[in-house]
Amino acid sequence: MSHGHVDITEAGTELTSPEGPPHGHPLFAALNRAMQRINRWLMVPCMLALVAAACILTYSVIARYFLKIPTDWQDEMAVFLLVGATFFSSAYVQQFRGHVGIEAIPGLLSPRVNHVRMIVVDLISFLFCAFFAWKSWTLCLEAFHEGQTTTSTWGPKLWIPYALMAGGMTLLSLQLLLEFTSRIADRKHSIVVKEAPL
Amino acid sequence: MSELAIGISYGVATLLVMFSGMPIAFALGAVSVTFMYFFMPASALDTVTQNVYEEMASITLLSIPLFILKGAAIGKSPAGKDLYSAMHAWMGKIPGGLGIANVFACALFAAMSGSSPATCSAIGSAGIPEMRMRGYSPGFAAGIIAAGGTLGILLPPSITMILYAVAAEQSLGRLFLAGIGPGVLLVALFAGYAVYRYRKEHAIAMRAFEGHGTASGMLDTHVYTMAEKVEMLPRVLPFVILLIGVMVALYGGFATPSETAGLGGLLALVLIAIVYAIWRPKQLRPIVTSTIKESTMLMFIIGMSLLYSYVMSSLHISQGAAESVVAMHLPKWILLAAVLVMVIVLGFFLPPVSIILMTAPILLPPLKAAGFDLIWFGVVMTIVMEMGLIHPPVGLNIFVIKNIAPDIPLKDVIWGVMPFVGLMFLAIFLLCVFPGIATGLPDIVMGAPVAR
Repeated sequence: MSHGHVDITEAGTELTSPEGPPHGHPLFAALNRAMQRINRWLMVPCMLALVAAACILTYSVIARYFLKIPTDWQDEMAVFLLVGATFFSSAYVQQFRGHVGIEAIPGLLSPRVNHVRMIVVDLISFLFCAFFAWKSWTLCLEAFHEGQTTTSTWGPKLWIPYALMAGGMTLLSLQLLLEFTSRIADRKHSIVVKEAPL
Repeated sequence: MSELAIGISYGVATLLVMFSGMPIAFALGAVSVTFMYFFMPASALDTVTQNVYEEMASITLLSIPLFILKGAAIGKSPAGKDLYSAMHAWMGKIPGGLGIANVFACALFAAMSGSSPATCSAIGSAGIPEMRMRGYSPGFAAGIIAAGGTLGILLPPSITMILYAVAAEQSLGRLFLAGIGPGVLLVALFAGYAVYRYRKEHAIAMRAFEGHGTASGMLDTHVYTMAEKVEMLPRVLPFVILLIGVMVALYGGFATPSETAGLGGLLALVLIAIVYAIWRPKQLRPIVTSTIKESTMLMFIIGMSLLYSYVMSSLHISQGAAESVVAMHLPKWILLAAVLVMVIVLGFFLPPVSIILMTAPILLPPLKAAGFDLIWFGVVMTIVMEMGLIHPPVGLNIFVIKNIAPDIPLKDVIWGVMPFVGLMFLAIFLLCVFPGIATGLPDIVMGAPVAR
């Protein structure tokens, strides 16, 4: 079993180091490493976006109460930043198996059944996320062509947050596809079992 | 298919995918999309992403990552230890003062960090060894910390309450305020129990000493000098100021709840930079990384839970279920008891965020029809979910305690926690008899509620 250190958060346990790449096939190992690198690199803008959102909202309070400047763009700007940070970090979180699930039943199943279960789970997760990514791109293109804006006075272009959502979901789908295919390719690789039930 | 059949299959499908161990977010999303495909017009599928975006892109919901940032900044700094030492120094003299100090430190830290596990590990890692050294039984020490940590989801700013406010369409400011009274009540109950238990254990230690001369740590008396006590203050004060400052900004009408989140997150970062010299990117990285991991996971569950309840109401499942509950004409208190039992059972499997978003459309209309105040119910439901954090089989806080004090047997931790579960039941009972404990403060600060 190749899982890393376990950390406990509000919603359950999570791994603090990525599930090791499958040992089976060098191609998947290489792809996994590449994906890990991309995800780690993308965390930098996500972190900056989070802190920037905090700064913008703080500025919003200062502007309104001390500088008497009307605030119109701050909330939306913060929303865009946080949407971007959320979606673009989702693949990174998945890589750590950080999207928690109910792990009550798997403990009762045999490793073989569990292996099949994980394949099915990964496949359905992938299909859902791929569908979501596809629909996000169509939404984004539509908003771009029609020049849709939000309804506020600032009225920024809607394709921007849609593109953030679509991009993040695409990355997440790729991550899930990679996990799914590696799992199939590497039948000997044992199953990740969480330390504690959620 | 009839509405009932669709409703039942929706429920069964949800149970099936959830228990397959699929990540909760993807499970909810997959079920929603599948049912949209089969039972809703094709156009619904085309707008599914727009739907999720519009639900999620509210600054109230997106304040959650910022509240988590504030909690992580405080939780990963030595603030918890300092807060604990100060509480200990100032309350050491009172009989059972150490236990009380732990309860208070948990409450304050929980209010600052907004996170139960963070509170347990921050206060517990200093508090549990200290209490055991002073002869407190391990189970009792673990129980105080596990229970004290749960205050994180009751005292403002609580993420659980943000979601409840969104789901129940109630004022977030009012809900935050409503959590304070019951929070203080629980602190008082926990502290009272700590004193009672201390006396009992102290008497036993005393008898043991008189009997065969083995002095337990409990009989030690260490007195802090005034100078020592004053020395403790400067490290704790900034955080207390942060806590109070954020509350004033929120209730003085200076900032919206989401702006408060941004302000709190930034202030927490500035404070740990000044007080603990944590400012280098290398030091900040783990704080922000853990924030993102937790908040992304939560926001995905939230987004997909919202999609899930949207589908549920589009297919008239939630309305149908709510109507049939209303039609049962259950006596008011039986209805409440049934709802709370359901929340407890769901708490065995699901994190509070999904419980709230998935059940609110079904549970709230009957409760409202029965004449319950939804702000009051939000507080009661939160306390019930607090219990879920410390009782088996899930009991997240129990696992945190196991992590920081691995040598205390699980059995002791669980038995140590049980009296506190009892006290929470007592608090819920008191809230039913005197609803003013919750609703009084918001009514005083924000005026009596206009028709809800």
